[in-house]
Amino acid sequence: MIDGIVLKGRTVLVLGATGNIGGAIVRHAGSQGATLVLTGRDQAKLDSFRVDGLSKTIAADIATDTGRGSLIEALPLLDGVVFAAGIAPLAPVRYLKDADLQACLHLNAVVPILLMRDLLKAKKLNKGASIVCVSSIAAGTGTAGYSAYAASKAALEAAARCLAVELAPKQMRVNCVAPGMVESDMADGFAGVASEDALTEHAKAYPLGIGKTDDVAGAVSFLLSNDARWMTGATIPVDGGFSL
Amino acid sequence: MSLGKFIEDFEEAVEDLEAGTLSGSTDFRQLEPWDSLSVLTVIAMVDVDYGVRLKAEDLKVSDTVEALYQLVQTKAKS
Repeated sequence: MIDGIVLKGRTVLVLGATGNIGGAIVRHAGSQGATLVLTGRDQAKLDSFRVDGLSKTIAADIATDTGRGSLIEALPLLDGVVFAAGIAPLAPVRYLKDADLQACLHLNAVVPILLMRDLLKAKKLNKGASIVCVSSIAAGTGTAGYSAYAASKAALEAAARCLAVELAPKQMRVNCVAPGMVESDMADGFAGVASEDALTEHAKAYPLGIGKTDDVAGAVSFLLSNDARWMTGATIPVDGGFSL
Repeated sequence: MSLGKFIEDFEEAVEDLEAGTLSGSTDFRQLEPWDSLSVLTVIAMVDVDYGVRLKAEDLKVSDTVEALYQLVQTKAKS
């Protein structure tokens, strides 16, 4: 990958752009020459982006039919889509709230499938488009309290594999990255409910230490780029060796 | 909300605690089954049963069950 040119001429939609991982993806893809379309729920946060290649921001709540409808209508033709929106309610199953479970499965797994359906029906994806889903190492591991989040990410990865086969005739690729714990809002959220001791112990399981959002963003830009042209249906762990 | 009911809920939340083993003055962090999952579980129990979102830090600064109960009461009112 040669810095600054690998995404030149490609229009990339980033969903969940206002999150920490989403924001890092935006900045990295911009630095690689992408033309960027950003969406998130908060227009003020979207307006605060100062990145290379920014073409358009669209405030939309993609958890709702109306939000997805208005987003699809406002989109240009796309060469890449990054699903970086997500929530992570952590609770042992005895105390898992219906609403939290359903919201997590909906936003993390159902919404990406619905959006892919709508993008395809509206013919918003150019031939050769690359779709990247931000999954998690939780999808392939077992951790107490993570049942909703892990199930949602495993569902997302499974859907991505099926879409990869379905869209291959259009030369479209669908892949996932599976980050471990990074210094981000979500990691901070985990810190809110996980004890410091538990986090310190968890950090020891990363041979390369805890990651940064930029570490995830680099892998996403690679999958968006033509350098990954023979990769589809894959999930790349970006976890500092956690899964070894 | 009463301290007695909170103690019952706490005992039910933490695995391997038998009913009637705790009092308000119990230092819950010194309990034998207390671990990182207990922290997560008590936070989730308080959220579901009392509508209060605690943080792990709150369980570090409250050393007894009664102190935690009082914190939950305070947060519930605010």
